[in-house]
Amino acid sequence: MAAPVALNPFEERLIAALPDSGTDWRARLGRQIGTHGLPHRRVEEWKWTDLRAALAKSEAGAGELIVKGSREPDETAPVSSAPFLLMPRLAAALGGDARVFRIGKKQDGPLELDLTVEAGMGHGVVVVNVARGVKAELRERYHVAPGAFANIAVIINLGEDTELVRLVEQADSAEGVLVVTTGAELGEGARFDQTTLGFGGRLARLETHVGHPGEGAEVILNGAYVLGQGRHLDQTTYVTHNGPNGVTRELFKGAALAGGKGVFQGKIHVEREAQKTDAQMNHRGMLLDERAEIDTKPELEIYADDVVCAHGAALGAVDAEALFYMRQRGMTETQARAVLTESFLAEPLDRLADEDLKTRWMDMVRGALRPDG
Amino acid sequence: MLKITDLRARLDAEDDAAIEILKGVNLDIPAGEVHAIMGPNGCGKSTLSYVAAGHDGYEVTGGSIAFEGEDITEAEPEERAAKGLFLSFQYPVEIPGVPTLTFLKEAANAQRKARGEGPISAPEFMKLARENAAKLGISNDMLKRPVNVGFSGGEKKRMEIFQAMMLAPKLLILDETDSGLDIDALRIVADGVNAMRAPDRSMLVITHYQRLLQYLKPDVVHVMSAGRIVESGGPELAEQLEAEGYDKYATEAA
Repeated sequence: MAAPVALNPFEERLIAALPDSGTDWRARLGRQIGTHGLPHRRVEEWKWTDLRAALAKSEAGAGELIVKGSREPDETAPVSSAPFLLMPRLAAALGGDARVFRIGKKQDGPLELDLTVEAGMGHGVVVVNVARGVKAELRERYHVAPGAFANIAVIINLGEDTELVRLVEQADSAEGVLVVTTGAELGEGARFDQTTLGFGGRLARLETHVGHPGEGAEVILNGAYVLGQGRHLDQTTYVTHNGPNGVTRELFKGAALAGGKGVFQGKIHVEREAQKTDAQMNHRGMLLDERAEIDTKPELEIYADDVVCAHGAALGAVDAEALFYMRQRGMTETQARAVLTESFLAEPLDRLADEDLKTRWMDMVRGALRPDG
Repeated sequence: MLKITDLRARLDAEDDAAIEILKGVNLDIPAGEVHAIMGPNGCGKSTLSYVAAGHDGYEVTGGSIAFEGEDITEAEPEERAAKGLFLSFQYPVEIPGVPTLTFLKEAANAQRKARGEGPISAPEFMKLARENAAKLGISNDMLKRPVNVGFSGGEKKRMEIFQAMMLAPKLLILDETDSGLDIDALRIVADGVNAMRAPDRSMLVITHYQRLLQYLKPDVVHVMSAGRIVESGGPELAEQLEAEGYDKYATEAA
């Protein structure tokens, strides 16, 4: 663990909001942040996403996480057990009661949640439980106003033979800071199919942890992103295969314009019991300017001896010969670049079943690629 | 239509030592005529087509290119395209994820916009696409597939001619369109090109062999060697080259 740090005023305000003594987990969290600060670049999991630096001069004070849903939560309840990781633990400590949604039978439509922090800092915990055998869809939209900070934990529990399609839209949040940490646990035969579309913020991180039971269960994690000037988006995924014959597919594609920074960290962990795991993870990034940055770290950690696991990562620029070909046919260079990049980014979004949503998302991608209109 | 005067060009390399590939090319193609350029590998004939189309991998070091009396030596590739210059590539580029018709419509409308015209209507465009595809034996399925992805060499060349038909250029440059074609494909492509001949459309056919010229019947044949046009004549020049080879010109150039 890193050496103790000198706290910045923002961290001091955070700690002041936590109990200052006792053995309760909230007090221990206060002491942990008091010693090590918020996650920063010397912490391996956060090396490209320096949350501490992004918040060092933040003046975000008391604020509120506003959750507007297509329906009310089934209950609000104290968080029963403290999350293990620091950021969701902080969300649980400062976010009050968790909003719990239960999906117990066939839905009328997707469960839609708009999560926004308009000023100051907002913390919160959302729990989504899908009962055995149910097919459900969850849509989340995240937005953080300039100068605000949102820290949200999402806990998803999928019963046996459930299917959850999760669609996450992270709206462009210039000068806003967002951390969303998701923990999803799958029951036997469950299917978790997630697609994210992100446009970044001053700093944004979508971190997803999935516990995969193996046999008959399937995990799909897809994502696309477009990052303009001053935007940072980190997509971090951890999938742990706990049982044999599990399938995981990950495909992330993104583009960074001048002054944009993308981060992809993907880890697939295969336990000794998880023989015959079939996992594939791919991240492809496109740098649209010399001043763009994308950092990528795919990792496989495998303790079983009979698995098929692969990962790929590639960064590229727009192909010069393709550009000339398109310009020879009459497109301007800007138009040719945008068409090539759109087609590149369309792949992770191609599988969306809802054509209206797919069209809207591709329109958002097109808009973000043409910042000058 | 196209007038090239003492054109000199080299690869756009960092250092100044790049070798000149075009060493003073003169070429004048009047409206409605079909000209052929033949020459051995490495003589600069493909470079000429790239430079005419405005590829930024080459640097023009002297001379000029005029299109319909207007100097386009420094024009961007898309400006030349909008004026009516079309290059059928020797190696058409694959563009994954972009369906051929989407690509062509976007290109056609970009050209129209550059010329100050309104966009083509979707039904009009589709009707034109069906008609032209039928002439070249191109299936609906091929049109829906991404540009050139998974096509054989012959199919790619057919798609290049299809694109030319859709964009209706004033000058069609065919760069080694016959390479990689079997005799049936060659005939289909040649028929397609012949159908495009018109009094206000010129063509420049660049080829190593005579066989495409048997179908296209050029008005003038030029021989290129070591970066220059060294001889011009009628169609009989192509037959003579086929019989005698390029040795004579290679020696003269050296």
